[in-house]
Amino acid sequence: MKTAHELRPGNVIMLDGSPWVVQKTETTRSGRNAAIVKLKLKHVLQDSTTESTFKGEDKMEDIILERLDCTYSYFADPMYVFMDAEYNQYDVEAENLGDAAAYIVDGMEENCQVTFYEGKAISVELPTSVVREVTYTEPSARGDTSGKVMKPATITGGGTLSVADFVKTGDMIEIDTRTNEFKKRV
Amino acid sequence: MASQKTEQNWDIFCAVVDNYGDIGVTWRLAKQLAVEHQINVTLWVDDLNSFQHILPQLDLKKVTQTYFGIKINQWSEPLKCCYVAGDVLIEAFACELPAQVKQQLITAKQNYDEDTIQQKPPVWLNLEYLSAESWVEGCHGLPSMQSSGLKKYFYFPGFTDKTGGLICEQQLFAQRDAWQADVSNRLSLFESLGLRGIKTSDTVVSVFSYETTSLLALCQLWQHSEQTVHALIPKGRCLNSLVELLPCSVDEVSKGSQIKLNNLVIHILPMTDQEGYDKLLWSCDFNIVRGEDSFLRAQWAAKPFIWHIYVQEDDYHLIKLDAFMQLYCNNLPPELANSWKALNLAFNQGQADATCEHWQQLNLAGLPLQQHAKQWPIDAINDVDLVSRLVQFVKNS
Repeated sequence: MKTAHELRPGNVIMLDGSPWVVQKTETTRSGRNAAIVKLKLKHVLQDSTTESTFKGEDKMEDIILERLDCTYSYFADPMYVFMDAEYNQYDVEAENLGDAAAYIVDGMEENCQVTFYEGKAISVELPTSVVREVTYTEPSARGDTSGKVMKPATITGGGTLSVADFVKTGDMIEIDTRTNEFKKRV
Repeated sequence: MASQKTEQNWDIFCAVVDNYGDIGVTWRLAKQLAVEHQINVTLWVDDLNSFQHILPQLDLKKVTQTYFGIKINQWSEPLKCCYVAGDVLIEAFACELPAQVKQQLITAKQNYDEDTIQQKPPVWLNLEYLSAESWVEGCHGLPSMQSSGLKKYFYFPGFTDKTGGLICEQQLFAQRDAWQADVSNRLSLFESLGLRGIKTSDTVVSVFSYETTSLLALCQLWQHSEQTVHALIPKGRCLNSLVELLPCSVDEVSKGSQIKLNNLVIHILPMTDQEGYDKLLWSCDFNIVRGEDSFLRAQWAAKPFIWHIYVQEDDYHLIKLDAFMQLYCNNLPPELANSWKALNLAFNQGQADATCEHWQQLNLAGLPLQQHAKQWPIDAINDVDLVSRLVQFVKNS
């Protein structure tokens, strides 16, 4: 079982008797520190998606499907192609990657986990953190070094996120792929 | 206009966390559902002691009782009153429903057959906290599929037409306007509450905040103001901030007593029911409020106010405060908006000097802020109140 708060893109969960791939997670805070998690889900067996909201501590059954460690190989629109240690290739639909797609870039070395359902590659789970280059961010406005003042930044692959004010264009940064949050400059 | 009789049965579960906030909201919700939509409401409350402060006639020994047509059941585990699945089940502020209630929902779903005339399983809603943040629009009304196979909906109150709206009784603004049009109502109310010596020209401030040094600083400032300032403060968390100003301990202060400190008179306010509290907010020149229920009622009072928001981890409450302030100040002149925002921020951050500075900057007698306070409720309600939207939401579900 996983709580809604622990889910991340690529996880497969069982709801109402059906398997769903988590495509996107958005965590916000309601009153009294309670987390609210909004999920974009894709039905594994049907071509349908839905949005759903959960309390952060809601428990749900995550399905342990066959998984393989793979590395990203190339993109053949609309498929992302991954390769295992024995050079077998697996195609994953771009749509099934959800938010994870923002971190899939050419030449990435991190191992991803490709999940299979009835022999078909249905989703990809990224490592908890990845390191990416900041391709653009405005210069520091306030000279803040505390890390509490944030500003928008674009990273390799075109994704955007908030980074600490002291981060510069060209810096390498560590990102938490579960929350899309900046962790530190590396 | 009241809607036609529906013969619906709704249950609301409320777990009291902060003395009057949760129960305040759910009690207003229950009353409005019953009065304006003729819905049979059962309110399940886990702390009748807190509830009694706003409903004094409540009997703490009874496990079930009825007031204003609403059945009030004591929520203890195991339940002493039998839960019978109705048309709607609301868990207020994400409270955890009793296991036996959840089991009944599962059974009702399993037994339901669309082809028969059986009653449908109840529509299950989680009524969330009020927030002005933009993400609320994207989460309001979304289903939450449970591993048990049940479906729950998240209902978010809010300030835009893509949210669940705001609790506001249909006649409230008319009643408020009539009250405020007759100056004698104000003084009569103060008299009835035992608040003596308040003149028409005096400044009257109601205070219902959490503990903060900002309140102490404001009271020290008011001691030396040109006009007499009357601070109406109930016993409780806000009065704890003023220990060093009081001639005795907080425990020894009695309701109705007055503490005169130069040009400041602190009145120890007795608790009132919700209708009485509304009238108090309508009658004061300025209101300091907290949490959710009094925060919303201060807006409906059409008077300037400070919102002391419930503190969250990582200062997340300041994000919520800012989201509301941006919305509230949309149509205010920039200078006035900045003063009002700075005052609220300083008060919430416990910045004593800054609170006093911005209080002085904010010209309370200035017409624009008062006019804005009068216009704001009309803009904020967005045509349709929460309860009407909620009833419609259930119909559409």
